[in-house]
Amino acid sequence: MTESRGGGSARSPFMAMALAWLFPGLGHFSLGRRRTALAFALIVTATFLAGISFQGRLYTVEASQPLTMLATFAVYGAGLLNVAARLLSDNPGGTILSTTYEYGCAFLLTAGLMNLLLVLDAWDIATGRKR
Amino acid sequence: MIAATFPVDHFLSMSLYALLVSAFFALLWRDGRRERWKLFGTLLGSLVLGGLAVAWLMYPFP
Repeated sequence: MTESRGGGSARSPFMAMALAWLFPGLGHFSLGRRRTALAFALIVTATFLAGISFQGRLYTVEASQPLTMLATFAVYGAGLLNVAARLLSDNPGGTILSTTYEYGCAFLLTAGLMNLLLVLDAWDIATGRKR
Repeated sequence: MIAATFPVDHFLSMSLYALLVSAFFALLWRDGRRERWKLFGTLLGSLVLGGLAVAWLMYPFP
């Protein structure tokens, strides 16, 4: 696919990383990779919304369950999507009795981890390690 | 939203997951259009067929 790389670029790799974390694809957009950015935004947002729709859990740290630290880190990787979902959702803990609960959790965790990979990718592009 | 309109079906849910993950990694790991489609197909096929294989192997277990 021919990549359109018009427009400006992020001022620094740290800015690109911050933008990439804020919203999926924003880091790539700031680096001039607009078509890829749009595709990433659609994919990660769709994954996250599917997770919400499937009544998955927006994890928070629980002292009695140390693995929730990792899950919380993963979900917070989705940036503003995660923040908005926590503010707007009337059931951030998900519905554990729902048939789709496990799928919802998997989709939410995956969306967060995808966005964290995009943060690292934005860093690589901004520093010239990846063309 | 999706759960209300999308049939709650394990295979469809798994396929949707495989579709999104395959598209993501094809875009992330490859540059050319042809290479991206090739990786997308490989990943999608592997995830769906792998899922079916694991499901088949687990079938005897309650």
